[in-house]
Formats: sequence, structure tokens, C-alpha cells
Amino acid sequence: MSNGTENVEVFENLRLELRRGCLSLAVLTQLRTERYGYTLRKALADDGLEIDEGTLYPLLRRLESQGLLVSQWREEDKRNKRFYRLSPTGEAVLGQLLAEWQRINTSLDKILQEA
Amino acid sequence: MSNKNPQELVDRYLQAVRFWLPNDRQQEDLVHELGEDLRSQIEAKEDELGRPVNQAEVAEILKRCGVPMVVAGNLAPRRYLIGPVIYPVYRFVMKMVLLWILVPVFLFIVGPVNLVHAKHWSEALAETLGSLWSGWFISAGIITLVFAIVERSQAHVAAVCKWDPLTLPPLRKKQERQPSLLKAACEFGFNIVGLVWLLLVPQYPFLALGPAAGILKAGPIVHTFYLPFVLVSIVALVRSAITLARPQWTWFPHLSQLTQSALMLILLNFMIEAITKTPGAWPIVMLQDAVRDSPKYLKVAAIVNMSILISVASTWLGLCIAAILQTREFLRSVRKRISAPQRSAFIGVQ
Repeated sequence: MSNGTENVEVFENLRLELRRGCLSLAVLTQLRTERYGYTLRKALADDGLEIDEGTLYPLLRRLESQGLLVSQWREEDKRNKRFYRLSPTGEAVLGQLLAEWQRINTSLDKILQEA
Repeated sequence: MSNKNPQELVDRYLQAVRFWLPNDRQQEDLVHELGEDLRSQIEAKEDELGRPVNQAEVAEILKRCGVPMVVAGNLAPRRYLIGPVIYPVYRFVMKMVLLWILVPVFLFIVGPVNLVHAKHWSEALAETLGSLWSGWFISAGIITLVFAIVERSQAHVAAVCKWDPLTLPPLRKKQERQPSLLKAACEFGFNIVGLVWLLLVPQYPFLALGPAAGILKAGPIVHTFYLPFVLVSIVALVRSAITLARPQWTWFPHLSQLTQSALMLILLNFMIEAITKTPGAWPIVMLQDAVRDSPKYLKVAAIVNMSILISVASTWLGLCIAAILQTREFLRSVRKRISAPQRSAFIGVQ
């Protein structure tokens, strides 16, 4: 029983590790168009990448503090919302990340086919 | 439950999250953004249902969002009381103080003193364990506080930034185990503390005897062997300083450790012989003149003397085992040094 639980824990940790990098890439890509938190989460969920509030908002702050995003509080539908979009630096970094992603993807495909 | 004001439930939830968030300029921002997200979720739900949501439905959304304390923990920037950088040092200091300083002090000084004052041994045991428990708590608290201040002040960051790879010791020779620099540095530090302690003891006997210093004083054996112990401590300090300054001398630690153990063994041997051959009263610690005739304190002196004698004998035994192991290590390193040039030559030809 404990072995099964350990396996679940190991899988969960590895899954989170795998997701972490992918989420940053997905968020940066989605923010080529300006969005606020909820619509960003919804857009990601619609594409199959669910992300909870406790993960998204710290990630947005981290990306903003790294200069990859810019944000602005603005009124929409009589409510104040914080809109995020990619900064010029973010656009450059996203380009590099996407190229890296393609390289990793190609390599992984190759490795998986060989296996 | 009423469906009149589900917004109130959201506000209560946000208030609970705010409580757990650090009270800084980001707090309001985070709460506001989370609130906006929740309201958007409620709106989406209302669009889906075609009617205003009730409290139960709002509660469902909040439940999915998570426990306020956990949500706040995820939202807030990561903060450590003791961060991963200084945690190994913190653990080391904690272990040293709680296990290797407090336990012996309570076992050999506080315990025997309590035993004399108590009516029954169980009372002494309970009192000693109680004091040890408090000592552990207070020490752990102070150590944690000091390290938390270091973490908070980011003082360790400067030390990490100042680190220069060029100061790394030269590459060690193959198959020769070089002593860890951390271990050598700790050994050096402890030797300094040990020597200072030894030099201060004659003037401040409570450093060795604790509360018993009021009734006990050093006996003739201590006076006879004090200087040789100081000399051995100086040898140990010089030895650890050389190990630290010259880590590339891989032969040095084995040889010097063995020499130091041999010196200490000789000294302890003489000491045990002197203790057992001294006639009359206990020769290691004696009663102060003021309480010389008190039968109660005579018992204290007897117990402390016996404890010290047992410690000296145990140290002697431990040193014998250490000396055997050190001799084996030393011989092994000599063998490796002899065979190393041949192996290098072989590799060179290849």
C-alpha cells in the first residue's frame, strides 16, 4: 500500500515539475493578447491547461517582476481589473523559449520513438 | 441560507485570505485581484444558470478556490524563517548545542548536584529532565531567533556573493581522501573555543562546574595536569589550523590526528594512574573551605569526582578505539602514497 502511495506522490511531484515550465510558456503565449486574471485562466482551461488562482497570480507577479509582463489596473464593466500583457522583453524571451520548446519537443519525439 | 447577498460571503472569504497574507503593499493588490477573479467566476456561473447565484453556489466556488490560509500561502511570496542556504549550518549548530553541550552538562554536572539535594533519586531525575527540557526549549528558541535574524537581514547573502571559485583548494590526488574544509573549519573553531574555555576555567570555575562552583574547587590532580592539557589543546589548535590552511597536505591530518591521540592517551593514562594512587579524599574536585565539613556536600563531591573519573576513563577507552582506527587510516594513506606514483606512470604511458 505504501509503495502505491509513494508512486502516486512521485508521479505527482514529477507532474508538477513538468507543468511548472510549461505553464510559464503557456501564460506568456496567451498574454500576447491583453487579458486579466480570470479570462487568462479561462483561456488556458479551454485549451486543456487548468490552473488555479494560487498558482496563476504568483506566477504573473514573478513574470512581471522579471520584466516579461506589464500590468495595468483598469475599469471594465464597472469593475477594476488588472490587465496583463507581454512586454517587449517578454516578446523576445518568448521567442527564445518557443524555439527551445520546439527543440526539446523534437528531441523528446525522437527519444520516445527510439524507446 | 439567503440568496440576497452572496457578495458578503466573498467579502468574508477575502477578509480571511487577507488575514493570512503578509501586511505589505502587495496585500491589497493580491486580495483585490483574487476578489476580481472570484466575482468573474460568479458572473460566469450566473450566465450559465440564467439567474443570480445563491449562497450555496457561491460557497461551492469558494470551496473549489481553497482554504483561505492555503490560498494566502500560495499567493504570498515564498518566505522562510530559516532559508535553505543557512539551514545546514542551523541544523549543525542546533545538534551541537542540544546534544553535545546540553546533554553532557546536565548528565555530569546538573544531574549529580540535583541528586544530592533531592530526597529520592526519582525526584532528582525528574528535576534534571525537567531542567534539560527547558534548556532545550530555550536554547532552540535562541538559536532559531539568531538564525531567523540572519535570514531576515540577508547577512548570509553577502558571504555567498563574496565566494570566489579561485579560492577553492587545489585538486586532490586520485584516491586520496582530502578532509572536508567545513569539518576542518569547525574543528578549528571548536579548538579555539575549547582553548579559551580551558584558559578561563581557573578564573571562572563555574564554566566547568556550573552551579556546583559555589561548593567545589579544583583538586591537586587538576592543578598538576592543567598545564599539559593546555599544551595538548594548543597542539590541537595548531593541528587544525594547518589542516585548514594546507588542505593539499593530505598526509597531514592522519599523522597529526594519530600523534594528538597518542599524546592525549599518554596524558590520560598518567591522570588515571594519579587519581587511583592518590590516597584519601577525592583528588579531582574538592569542597570549598566554607562547606568542607558538610556531609551533604561531601556526597556531592564524591558524585562529581566519580562522574569525572568515569568520563576520563570513557574518553581513554574512546581514544584507544580512535587511535586504532587512525593508525589503520594512516597506514592505508601511506600505502596509497607508495603505490600512487606507479599508477600515475602507467596512466601516463597510456
